[in-house]
Amino acid sequence: MALALRSSILCHIRVPISLNLPRLTAVRSMSSSHDDHLDKKEVVDRVLEVIKSFPKVDPSKVTPDVHFQKDLGLDSLDSVEIVMALEEEFKLEIPDKEADKIDSCPLAIEYIHNHPMSS
Amino acid sequence: MSVATASYVARRAAQKERVRILYRRALKDTLNWAVHRHLFYPDADALREKFEVNRQVEDIERIDRMIAAGEATHDKWRHPDPYIVPWAPGGSKFCRNPTPPPGLYPFCVITYIFLPS
Repeated sequence: MALALRSSILCHIRVPISLNLPRLTAVRSMSSSHDDHLDKKEVVDRVLEVIKSFPKVDPSKVTPDVHFQKDLGLDSLDSVEIVMALEEEFKLEIPDKEADKIDSCPLAIEYIHNHPMSS
Repeated sequence: MSVATASYVARRAAQKERVRILYRRALKDTLNWAVHRHLFYPDADALREKFEVNRQVEDIERIDRMIAAGEATHDKWRHPDPYIVPWAPGGSKFCRNPTPPPGLYPFCVITYIFLPS
């Protein structure tokens, strides 16, 4: 009985939802994460710039595919410092375990390029 | 490679990772305590020096004890209110929404007023 009454009432009530819809669809994304990825070339340039400015590195040796310890003669603590400098340059917060895995230029570039919040 | 050598290598690798992560956390914490660069650089050098004096230590048990001591020291002197990147968990912008776009504003207000309470 109640169900029948409810459905008969609902059939006759019209809610003007469609009036508001155009305004809602025009709204931009409300999430706080902006998903504009950096250009790959810009990422490469800025990463290389950071590594070249590291005091213990010979700037002429730096290319986009160097390994920090094998090619640049750094030790593991130096690569920790480089990753931290990269974090500051791109305003990132990399979890410790992931930052520990970044030990070469290609890895750093790939990680930063794929990170949605790098800027 | 014998089992003993393999376990030694694995243990050394784990120790190296612990040291790297400890150094990373300590370096970040140094930046929390020293807010200006001219204060940060000497502190960071001093921190690096603390790690460098023990570079030649070979005894694996002693390394373990020294890492534990270092982690305890770091834990004791951790900054109570560290800097966190705003969007990261714990940051000031984490899980916040931006203000609504201006075109939406009257609509929001009208909906709010006529909502049955």
